[in-house]
Amino acid sequence: MKTKSLLSVLAAAILITSCSKSENPNPVDPDPTPGVGKYIVAVTPIASTGVADYLVTSNSLDDGKVSIIGNGIEQDGTWRYYLSTNNKFFSFLYGQGNPGAVTAYNLENGKLKKLTNFQSETVAAFAAVNDDVLMAKMSRNLATPTHTWYRVNTNSLSIVGEGSMNALELANNGEIGYFSWLTQVGNKVYAPFFCIESSSFTTKYPNKAWVAVFSYPDMKLEKVFTDERTSYIGQYFTNGLGTVENGDIYAFSAANATSKRKDDPTKSEITTTNPSAILKISSGTTEFDKNYFFNVTEISGGYNIVNWTYVGGNNFIVSSKKKQSDGSYSAETTIAAVNVVDKTFKTVTGLPNASEIKSFTQRNNYSKKDGKIGYIGVNLKSGKSYVYKIDATAATATTGLEVEGGSITAIEHLD
Amino acid sequence: MIFINTFKTHKSDQTINLYMKNIKYQSVFFLLLIACTVQAQQFTASLKGYVKTTAQQGIAASTIRIGNIYSSTDETGYYEIKNISQKNVTITASAVGYRNTTKTIVLKAGENTFDFELVSDQKEIDQVEVYGRTKAQEVNRQAFNVTAVDATKLYNTTLNISSALDQVAGVRVRESGGVGSNFNLMLNGFNGSQVRYFIDGIPMENFGSAFQINNIPINIAERIEVYKGVVPVWLGSDALGGAVNIVTGDRFKSYVDASYSFGSFNTHRTVINAAHTTKGGFFFQLNAFQNYSDNNYKVTVDVADLNTQQYKEGVKVKRFHDTYHNESLIANIGVVNKPYADKLLFGIVLGKSYKEIQTGARMETPFGGWHRRGTTVMPTVKYKKSDLFVKGLDLTLNGNINVGTEQNIDTVYARFDWYGNRKYVPGKGGESSYSMYKYKNNLAVANAILNYKLSENHSLSITDVFNSFKRMGNDEVNPQNASLERAKLSQKNVLTFGYQYDVRDRYSVNAFVKNYHQHNVNGANEIVKNLSKWGYGTALAYYFTPSFQLKGSYELTVRMPTPDELFGDVENYEGNFALKPENSNNFNLGINYDFALNAANRFSLMANAFYRNADNFIYQRLNNNQTKYISDNRDGVRSIGGDMDLHYSHSNWFTAGLNMTYQSVVNTQKYEPDYTGISPLYKKTMPNIPYLFGNLNAAVTLYDFGGKDNKLTFGGSLQYVHRFWLYWPLLGGTDEESAKRQIPMQMALDGNVVYSIANGRYNIAFEGKNLTDNRLVDNFSLQKPSRGFYLNLRYFFNK
Repeated sequence: MKTKSLLSVLAAAILITSCSKSENPNPVDPDPTPGVGKYIVAVTPIASTGVADYLVTSNSLDDGKVSIIGNGIEQDGTWRYYLSTNNKFFSFLYGQGNPGAVTAYNLENGKLKKLTNFQSETVAAFAAVNDDVLMAKMSRNLATPTHTWYRVNTNSLSIVGEGSMNALELANNGEIGYFSWLTQVGNKVYAPFFCIESSSFTTKYPNKAWVAVFSYPDMKLEKVFTDERTSYIGQYFTNGLGTVENGDIYAFSAANATSKRKDDPTKSEITTTNPSAILKISSGTTEFDKNYFFNVTEISGGYNIVNWTYVGGNNFIVSSKKKQSDGSYSAETTIAAVNVVDKTFKTVTGLPNASEIKSFTQRNNYSKKDGKIGYIGVNLKSGKSYVYKIDATAATATTGLEVEGGSITAIEHLD
Repeated sequence: MIFINTFKTHKSDQTINLYMKNIKYQSVFFLLLIACTVQAQQFTASLKGYVKTTAQQGIAASTIRIGNIYSSTDETGYYEIKNISQKNVTITASAVGYRNTTKTIVLKAGENTFDFELVSDQKEIDQVEVYGRTKAQEVNRQAFNVTAVDATKLYNTTLNISSALDQVAGVRVRESGGVGSNFNLMLNGFNGSQVRYFIDGIPMENFGSAFQINNIPINIAERIEVYKGVVPVWLGSDALGGAVNIVTGDRFKSYVDASYSFGSFNTHRTVINAAHTTKGGFFFQLNAFQNYSDNNYKVTVDVADLNTQQYKEGVKVKRFHDTYHNESLIANIGVVNKPYADKLLFGIVLGKSYKEIQTGARMETPFGGWHRRGTTVMPTVKYKKSDLFVKGLDLTLNGNINVGTEQNIDTVYARFDWYGNRKYVPGKGGESSYSMYKYKNNLAVANAILNYKLSENHSLSITDVFNSFKRMGNDEVNPQNASLERAKLSQKNVLTFGYQYDVRDRYSVNAFVKNYHQHNVNGANEIVKNLSKWGYGTALAYYFTPSFQLKGSYELTVRMPTPDELFGDVENYEGNFALKPENSNNFNLGINYDFALNAANRFSLMANAFYRNADNFIYQRLNNNQTKYISDNRDGVRSIGGDMDLHYSHSNWFTAGLNMTYQSVVNTQKYEPDYTGISPLYKKTMPNIPYLFGNLNAAVTLYDFGGKDNKLTFGGSLQYVHRFWLYWPLLGGTDEESAKRQIPMQMALDGNVVYSIANGRYNIAFEGKNLTDNRLVDNFSLQKPSRGFYLNLRYFFNK
């Protein structure tokens, strides 16, 4: 018994000497007033060690400052993808092969509140369809050419349906059809795809665009329509379709499909010869409009489009790359305002110098779709990040919310 | 000889000041000395013999002194002193618990023999076991900051080497699960491959999965030496901060030691060690061991439904796909004490392991089919010769190559839930990645140690260690995967020059220079990388009294990336061929102090302070998809900390020990890649590193319990690890809603009862682990075994 009491005394001694030393300053919430609606900013910390984005909230994107130092919800995973639908915020973990957790949040008293975690397969495309989130997990291996899709109901927050398809049947050319994204159009799902020979993402068909049309919710393949004036629609993990107010759908192609090099098949190069372009799918049709063609390469003077955000009024804010003399595209990104009806391409002014910019936020930029304003994240090499407010009609940018501690990966909004 | 004469003028009872003045001269004379000592040997004699009790039993660890030359006896009481330059000598033999005996004898040139008989000193006899220095304690007295674990005291437990190491101050072993699970040993701020492992001085890097410190039973070892920071020259490798040397020893000429244990989670272990030496010098040795466990302990997890994929939180389930077993055998055959070799052994290490993989880097996803198999087939040769060609020149050569295979088998294309239910996915594939990849690492190690003892006090040494790794393999289900098929090659050579000056129980000085070279080829794209670096260091020790030692050491260490870090381990570890060698400036300061309140109450204190400033620090993080771990360089990491180990003994029936470690490990990378501004994490605490932990243990022994020569021992230990954050401590909120991920505080209580009969010939031990059934987690969310009980039976016989 003596021994036991000695043990507990020493255990207590260990405990006392080990009072937690925290360097976490726990700063005061920079934004203490609870608002009706809130913006959610996902921030990847500067020194990422395979670490999650932190989620912070703000009442405004136009000014103020938020920080992830001592503040913010910590998430698991580095590659997180986000979607807001049914007034819920979904955070998907991309886990390459392994299932990962999807966390759903809503707003409660102006704070993000975790609703549930559920498991999901690693998907490379997902979209809100009715009250569901439709997700697709895709194969990159010709030996196992099966794509699987899942429907998550955003009310019950569980998987309510799933199925699979033969990835070789999409293009019917011996290559896997790999969805760049999924988009609800009426009661159908349009899925633009590109063709790949292997996980290196090369193709023998660099000058063609494909869109698969599926019924919903049973995801039966109804049709594949194509076009040979440009290259594939969208980018890997990027939505290449934009639906405007009158129901017409516009689709961009970056014209950057790659093929294996003839001299060294372990390397690849861009082999698309068609220009980067925007195509149109008129409302209610399942065809590309043969009478519409927006030659982006020509009108912009050598740029393509790799990503876009619709702000309403036929205006898109686009990320572009300039074509180099060797056929590749610049590493540097140029932000431009595009009007798909007027076929205009205007470089946005008022952004920091390109040499100071580390990256722009892709995919999850925000717009109220008022026909004019979009918000994009600009991450500077100095370590500072800002939300910039872009006026797509004037093609100008102004500084908004400052974000401390990392790079902005998503800007979302919940009511 | 100049030096020795200078030193002789200062008798042991003179002040330190006098001695300190001399240090300057001494360093100036070092080089001269080497030359002088060689010339000065006109009369040389050696003396050997035994120190025995009046009952003719050898006394271990007794001290023999001729003037300022000290030596000590081995386990059998044998001693040997070489290079004596005087004819008339006064010899004193002393041992704890015995009266000092002094004799004056006349030596003849060449070999002399003289045996001592010591009369026991009744007053102190009870403390012999505590106070007399065992071999392990002798190791602790080196100039290096080293802790030796006396493995013989743990022979009646079911511990493996890694769990024994977990009880050393400054060491924390992080495990991912039960028997056979992955482990990561952390030592004074460094971990993983930054700490190197040796068995009898031979690098263990190539032993394969069937032969690792987490599956080698403690009974294989005689002692385990843990070098914190600076590593001795003869362990010539590229450790960044520390090394572990498992000494198997050859305590007895002929013996049998066999044990078997079984317990919770269907765990079975068997160890058989036997050796026999014939009169003609023929030697045969066999070590065989086996571990088996279902590891089906209970864990608490969020269980996802296979269909709705909804999580049910906090469900208690049994692990269902975590069986591990390994069987290993080491056989050595050869000769000892021959004119051409003190030892020449040819041997083979054979091993086989099977391991089911229950989870990835996180518990949320269970696997049900993925497993690994490994074999070790390793011929070995060991050669040792003292006084080769000239007196004092010792040569040791070791060589081995492991041609065993490793195979990663992932062919079940299904998802499993935590109840073991499966749901197949159409087509072909695997749970993680479709694989039948089978490969050989063809790991070879050769080392040579050449030591020249210029005189009783000086020695020079050259050590060379060469490692070769060539991974070749193929995957029958993925024949087109070129990255698996083309060979991956890594060759490393470490050459060390060392000098040592040693005056027993007064002081010792070590200095060394090392050259590191590595040649790597990544088969997938045939990129060749050659890396070359220099390092150096020194270790000093000074004894204020024979029981109070101060030591300090410094080294600029270099560590080359390991093959697994470069190429991955084909399991949960991803390769990074772009890794650069890491280096570190390591400083250590330590004291050893033995003291007694009175005859019955004795203490032994070891304390160590360390500073490490590493560049290109290689650290482990989750990969971007969080499915695997990957190693990466950081510009800099700095660790400052200390550890201490306090032992107490009361007479011969009660002992207690406490050790504590605190370390602060901060990021010193000022700029992150692609950023020009100072990182907000500069000089901030690194994530996912335990910084405060300790261990408390106590044992009570009852002698002659239930008969003469029987012994009953009760022991207990409590392990504590303070809570720490998984990710950067600076980032994110710490309130509950912010969900900041932490590895919670852990406390594990173990207990055991050992009954030894007939002086330890028969032993029965009963052990309980994690008695309070706490949820133990070392790596985020990966739970370790729940409460378990084990019974261990052991037979030991020697002659």
